[in-house]
Amino acid sequence: MPDVLPPVKVRRGLSGFIYRNPAIAFGAALLILMLLIALLAPLLATVDPTALAPAQRTRNPSWQHWFGTDMMGRDIYSRVLYGTRVSLAVGFSVAILASLAGLAVGLVSGFVRWADGILMRVMDGMMSIPPILLAITLMALTRGSVGNVIAAISIAEFPRVARLVRGVVLSLREQPYVDAAVAAGTRAPVIILRHILPNTLAPMTVQATYVCASAMIVESILSFIGAGTPPIIPSWGNIMAEGRALWQVKPFIVFFPAVFLSLTVLAVNMLGDGLRDLLDPRMAKRL
Amino acid sequence: MLAHIVRRILVTIPVMGFVALFVFSLLYIAPGDPAAVIAGDQASPEDVEKIRISLGLDRPFLARFGEWSWLILQGDLGTSMFTGMPVMTLIGQRLEPTLSLMAVTLVLSVVVAVPMGVAAAWKAGTWLDRSLMGFAVLGFSVPVFVVGYVLAYVFALELDWFPVQGYTPLSRGLGPWLQNLVLPSIALGCVYIALIARITRASMLEVLQQDYIRTARAKGMAQGGILFVHALKNAAVPIVTVIGIGIALLIGGAVVTESVFAIPGLGRLTVDAILRRDYPLIQGIVLLFSFVYVLVNLAVDLVYTMLDPRIRY
Repeated sequence: MPDVLPPVKVRRGLSGFIYRNPAIAFGAALLILMLLIALLAPLLATVDPTALAPAQRTRNPSWQHWFGTDMMGRDIYSRVLYGTRVSLAVGFSVAILASLAGLAVGLVSGFVRWADGILMRVMDGMMSIPPILLAITLMALTRGSVGNVIAAISIAEFPRVARLVRGVVLSLREQPYVDAAVAAGTRAPVIILRHILPNTLAPMTVQATYVCASAMIVESILSFIGAGTPPIIPSWGNIMAEGRALWQVKPFIVFFPAVFLSLTVLAVNMLGDGLRDLLDPRMAKRL
Repeated sequence: MLAHIVRRILVTIPVMGFVALFVFSLLYIAPGDPAAVIAGDQASPEDVEKIRISLGLDRPFLARFGEWSWLILQGDLGTSMFTGMPVMTLIGQRLEPTLSLMAVTLVLSVVVAVPMGVAAAWKAGTWLDRSLMGFAVLGFSVPVFVVGYVLAYVFALELDWFPVQGYTPLSRGLGPWLQNLVLPSIALGCVYIALIARITRASMLEVLQQDYIRTARAKGMAQGGILFVHALKNAAVPIVTVIGIGIALLIGGAVVTESVFAIPGLGRLTVDAILRRDYPLIQGIVLLFSFVYVLVNLAVDLVYTMLDPRIRY
């Protein structure tokens, strides 16, 4: 009798992981590439990204200037490479800061009954200001710097993380193993650290990737409208802001940073989707 | 029912109050001296002092906040520092383009996204589902101004199907008005479409597994009827919720879209206010947008009971 089912080839190791999680593999690979570009920018760049060359303004892409030059003759290829640093720095910093702040508020809110009402009303209030507008408002009151951009976007993003963590904590509190820990006389801080915190990490990691993607977009928007990273620092938003006036005749100035930004955000989003499917199979079926 | 509506409306009042307090206190908790930041680097000490007085930073916080809130309740958002005109007047002048842009985007997005999500759920797991959801991930990833420039380049500059930039008031006719809004609305709608399509798919997938869907199939009901009459109605609550929440994306995106397409709306006004650091104007716009956002979500909440009579309060 012939085999009814052919033997299933089980793939193990890294190749198996990549086969089963193509989204994570693709996102991670692209993100690592961007990280390498950011780290190696001084080696990869052909010239100083801030070097002015008035004689070579708005040149089309060529062998000498791969992505062309901008209105002040600066090499766009080199500027775009350095821009990777700003975007990744902002994305990762905001993801970490917003997660930590959200985790702190969410844990307190989920565990301390009397604080819950107040904290969540404050979070509701902050969430009712559209994030980009909130970041814009904050930037209007401080001087433009990468640090301030990170702070402004983190403040705009963290209430959503806090809400998520609170929701997870509230459902975890009802778990039998938490009741058991309480009955065994475990003190609250230990319960939080040992039983609650580890279980919030999976949804938080997924949320952090989305925060990272959103932060990179908001940074570019802030820079694009002139309220973000100081114009002297080459960030993708700044390069596009400079190319804005000329986009009808010299579209490449806007085009190259736009491609890099979109690819990086896509990488982070795919990594997030992949992690969500991996860490929470129940959610994966739904979304 | 009536009691619930009244209670729900009352709950939004403290939220709005908090938003007002937050936007107002930013002036006081911002690091450094906001008056000096707003005045800029070239300002003389007298200029800084003048700005400090016009912002009311020389007076106690609570007194100033009380006064400011009282004026807002009367519909007075203060005076723009740059133009010297009332913030309300400036906002009023720019309201139409932004409302038009958002209305067209909203209609377009819902009309495109809901059938997209339904189709993806119906053909779940097939190439159609994968490509639609792949498009959704792309929609999340490509920033609104990038979509805007690509659309403007291809459809306005190269193909010459639509005007490149600008805005035509509705009073000059529906055709020209719409023609100017098509490209900006598609650009602004991308993220929104991705969001709505994803939730529609998720919500539909859950509903399609229910017994009453099998019953409808068993009695020989047409596929379209099952999807759009039985299933979609029961899947509607999360979809309507996300349409409401997504308004925040539209508001943020409008700021950028209006810059790309040179639409003289509230978004442009915001950008100008930022560049001039006209704080009272920024405050006014943020408050207005936030109140609109809160009210939209209040309306969404109230629509729930109409969509799903099982929801009782």
